[in-house]
Amino acid sequence: MTEKEAIRRLLKEADLYRNQGLLSDSKAKYMEILSIIGKSKTLANHKQLIEGVKSKIRAVNRSLNELKDTLEKPELSEDLQHLIKKLFCFSQTKEASAIEGAVALAKFGQYEQALKEFHKLLEQGVLPLVIAKNMIKCYAALRIPEAALVQFSKWKTRDFFSREDLKYIRAFLKTSLEKEGFKVEIPELEATPSLPSKPKKKEEVFLEISAVSLHLRSGPLAGQTRDFDVHFQSANTVTILIPAAQKNLADSLVPGTRLTDIQCYSPITVFRSTGTISGAAQIKQGPRRGDYTMDITIDAD
Amino acid sequence: MAIFNAKDRIIECKLVYCGPGRGGKTTNLEYIFKAFHKQTDSDMVSISTMGDRTLFFDFLPMGLGKIRGCDVKIQLYTVPGQSRYRSTRKMVLKGVDGVVFVADSLEVRRKANLLSLKDLAENLKEEGYNIFNIPLVMQYNKRDLEAQGIPLLPLDTLEKDLNSKLKVPYHMASAITGEGVGRTLKEALLLTLRHLQKELHWTK
Repeated sequence: MTEKEAIRRLLKEADLYRNQGLLSDSKAKYMEILSIIGKSKTLANHKQLIEGVKSKIRAVNRSLNELKDTLEKPELSEDLQHLIKKLFCFSQTKEASAIEGAVALAKFGQYEQALKEFHKLLEQGVLPLVIAKNMIKCYAALRIPEAALVQFSKWKTRDFFSREDLKYIRAFLKTSLEKEGFKVEIPELEATPSLPSKPKKKEEVFLEISAVSLHLRSGPLAGQTRDFDVHFQSANTVTILIPAAQKNLADSLVPGTRLTDIQCYSPITVFRSTGTISGAAQIKQGPRRGDYTMDITIDAD
Repeated sequence: MAIFNAKDRIIECKLVYCGPGRGGKTTNLEYIFKAFHKQTDSDMVSISTMGDRTLFFDFLPMGLGKIRGCDVKIQLYTVPGQSRYRSTRKMVLKGVDGVVFVADSLEVRRKANLLSLKDLAENLKEEGYNIFNIPLVMQYNKRDLEAQGIPLLPLDTLEKDLNSKLKVPYHMASAITGEGVGRTLKEALLLTLRHLQKELHWTK
């Protein structure tokens, strides 16, 4: 193959990759062409050829930069936000679905709309700790620490949370903002709460658990250990999801089943505990239809 | 995960198109939407960014009509192929019943195919699935470019790279012309519905 033919072939490839949006591959081919031209002593219009290829490389670089600057998670239309909520909530109960919908919005970068939904849910008193954490994540992702601090101050002066909850939320807020590179002074909690706090239930001070490992002692999977993400937590009851494909596992975890070896993973520690299956259901609607939800009540002592 | 409504005899399942970025996943769905318009329940939803890159997902609901006395509905999704959108891919894979892996036949995309398949296996595992057990079909896309003299990976290289362990059905395709798109979809649906029959016993 002559130099001219090789260049023609490479140009065709580079242009096609560029048209297909394979920008790095396209650039690599243009560079290869430049190298061939640079080494050649026989090609006519040497200078013009080099300039032509360089201008193509500049165009590819511009596209690469534009791509880099494109928002990863732009604000979507109301219709698309509604569709996301509909397609990505998997639970049966109204409250759990509402939380899942709002969490899905946040996962797809629709933080402002997610915040609106979380606010509504918080006002309704739905899993306040879970909601508060998700709201903090949204503020951190939106890079508005001042709004997070204002929100925290509001929570401090209202009767939403116990003092222990507020302590936990404050620590979570601090970690979340620091993770995003913000160093802010978070107001300490007063020595005595400004408002009389709600009578404390034992479960209100339970640690947040993000995942559990269950060591199965009986049933068809006896001796095996299975790991699960915690989808929801209300006090010392955590909810996990079991894919429909693992029906045998779901069948072995009927309500009342004692779990004598549970490894709990929280953001600050890992601990072993025991517990009981307190609820089980098969999801009837949404994309997780057919999967199983299991509530595990962890022994609180 | 699919649901079978035994009373009304309706089964709904979810098929996800995965694969490297710019490999032709969205083009597959666009062709399906165009070619099987009668079966589609509504418009195809695409959330794209600059240069037609899928940002979140494409979504196309379809109704296949009655199969063995059961109304079969499917939801087709694509995931974003770019590596930086891993968390979005995981989200879209939740509840998946079957997968089409759209591999890019271009020689320069060999590594991208391998990385994408590895990413798929990991994401499935994190969602509680095993890539060896889930209904999966390979599609080797962009075969039309061979006629233009563009270097493509030969079939045996693609098979060795991507399918030597999985041993799943494969189809040569050109999503842009529609060649092989219908065959891929049909095979993926067949595998998925058969798989669901074992779990849900949805046929009479």
